[in-house]
Amino acid sequence: MVAEEKKKWEWEISNQSSYWGTHFTEIWAYRHLLSSLVRRDFLVNYQQTILGPAWMLLQPVLTLVTYALIFGRLVGLSTGSLPPLLFYFSGIILWNFFNDSFGGTNNVFRDNTQVFNKVYFPRLVVPIAIMCTRFIRFGISLFLLLLMIGYYMAFKDFSPNFSSWLLALPVVVLAVGAMSLGLGLAFSVITAKYRDISGFVSLGTRLLMFATPVIYPVLSLPEDVRWIVHLNPLTPLFELFRLSLLGEGVVSYDMLFYSLAFSFLVLVVSLLLFNKKGDSLIDIV
Amino acid sequence: MSEIIIDVQNLSKMYRLGTIGTGSFRQDLQRWVSTNILKKEEPFFQGHGVNADGMDGNDLWALNNVSFDVKKGEVLGIIGNNGSGKSTLLKIISRIVRPTQGFVRGNGKVSSLLEVGTGFHNELTGRENIFISGYTLGMSRDEIRRKFDEIVAFSGIEKFIDTPVKRYSSGMYVRLAFSVAAHLEPDILIVDEVLAVGDNDFQKKCLGKMNEIAQTDGRTILFVSHSMQAVNTLCTKALWLQNGNVKEWGTANDIVNKYVASVQKHRLQQEWDTIENAPGNDNIRVKSVEIVPHLNNPNDMIDIRTALTFKFQFWNLQEHVNISARILLFSYTGECVFNVLSPIVNCFKPGILEGECTIPGNFLNDGSYYISMNFLKDSATHLLDFNECVSFDMEDYRGDLQWFGKWWGAVRPQFPVHLEQKEMVLDV
Repeated sequence: MVAEEKKKWEWEISNQSSYWGTHFTEIWAYRHLLSSLVRRDFLVNYQQTILGPAWMLLQPVLTLVTYALIFGRLVGLSTGSLPPLLFYFSGIILWNFFNDSFGGTNNVFRDNTQVFNKVYFPRLVVPIAIMCTRFIRFGISLFLLLLMIGYYMAFKDFSPNFSSWLLALPVVVLAVGAMSLGLGLAFSVITAKYRDISGFVSLGTRLLMFATPVIYPVLSLPEDVRWIVHLNPLTPLFELFRLSLLGEGVVSYDMLFYSLAFSFLVLVVSLLLFNKKGDSLIDIV
Repeated sequence: MSEIIIDVQNLSKMYRLGTIGTGSFRQDLQRWVSTNILKKEEPFFQGHGVNADGMDGNDLWALNNVSFDVKKGEVLGIIGNNGSGKSTLLKIISRIVRPTQGFVRGNGKVSSLLEVGTGFHNELTGRENIFISGYTLGMSRDEIRRKFDEIVAFSGIEKFIDTPVKRYSSGMYVRLAFSVAAHLEPDILIVDEVLAVGDNDFQKKCLGKMNEIAQTDGRTILFVSHSMQAVNTLCTKALWLQNGNVKEWGTANDIVNKYVASVQKHRLQQEWDTIENAPGNDNIRVKSVEIVPHLNNPNDMIDIRTALTFKFQFWNLQEHVNISARILLFSYTGECVFNVLSPIVNCFKPGILEGECTIPGNFLNDGSYYISMNFLKDSATHLLDFNECVSFDMEDYRGDLQWFGKWWGAVRPQFPVHLEQKEMVLDV
């Protein structure tokens, strides 16, 4: 009898949930699910369209044309010394990356109720899969941006002053990714419980875009409103993105530290929250 | 005794009724303040007074202190009425929802089939769906590759494997989905009513597959079903839930019989005084039906030795008809044990007819039975079908026999069986 009482159980389900939750070994065990979710996303999105995967390139280009017409021609916003198309496009692809990642991860529970209700797997697999697809899409857009920069350098007399800041590019991408995933996870938990908030979330992201130097450089702003934009932790990342690729942007180490710390903190806190609350949310979504 | 593979202890699950989820932000805030700041006890974990429906004020206890264990290789059937907590129990063991109290612990890999086609996506082809659904259910890539051909063959849709599943008929969809599920190889398989899909042939195939998994591979299965026949044939043990409580727990056959017996109260007799309130139609009205057991003491139980006489009376309301009555005896799992036909009676005028039929003792096996009647005109046209008019229980009787396992067979007649030693071989 003593031996039986000491028996080890491989798993136990109780009302206790831990902040540390899912072990990474468990997610690793579901890596094939992750890759097939990524694959599914690409297959499903471009099924039965004539242009197929070309839409991945076409979407940012169409946005670029719209923005260039409205903000460049009609509103006449300054883009500093950079060619407007390059300026807008760099802003658009980074913003799209942030916005798509956040938009995808923030609806994880609502979009997957059906599956979450019927089978167990580490819930974190789904947001990670979403992030993977967004990284791939961003990579494709970035490639397009590099082609455009090459074109401008070859034919339009554009000579960006590349510096060692180019090495900061991966840091920017990772930080934006971390921040969008972090915010997405946090809001997925919050909106699953308090639905009303999702209305404010979509409004908030739209407002956030205007508080981020997507279509204007920070320097073009009047001094007295600049602090709002500087409060936004995305601002230094956008400026750094342009600085590294196009050679023009205003960023200080303090501000950079602020946004990196913010991204890291948001991601860690949200992961903990997601682990703690993720399993009990299925009762209420 | 084989080892315990799942151990369920005092499992309870509470749902709050009315508002969706845990309610408003204000309620949550109140609860947070009272538990974390005022240090009051969480109301969840106090003793709760639950009434018969599992209701406690506005809270519904879908499961209430459920404890049981499952041994390795057992097939446990979980039965009960709708809303008795069967699905909640499966969901907790599958790790989909968390219990409010208590715990489940166990060993080995768990796969759950709570619906057909988990993880299927309409836009993708059958081939892609096999993989994605397999991964979702916890299969590894090698496992799926190894069994891919088998899965396709089992589903019988080889030709359409590269067609998006949205073009499938619903039958094809279900077959493919079930085929993936049927090839899972977990230590513990959790199945919820998936057998209630597909055509008859495919259902048989599924039952066969389940049987194969359970018997040849020695895997542990938890199986929820409303089909008592399926539980009876597939399961070794059964758990009967009622309003979130364990009502009975034991060998499958036993529990199924008890459950079935409780669902419909046994009626040994029914009688109607007037034609107006008697059941029937313009042709036939039933006056009385009755089972009379041949017992020395009327308080004795009916056991397999007891002969039973089924008596019935009915009004014939027509002139010039040839009437006969057919008596059908069903076991409670729905199989017809026998049907017997009365001789034909020529009725010139309306009136009351009476009949009886005696089922000898030592003929039926133990279990629950019911009788249905058909009234026929010219032995062919159904004048009236009177279903499940009486029902009764046959208790087991073994006498001196030192063996208590379930006696197999639809009937249990005592035909003389001859056995003798033919020759003796003395020097082996």
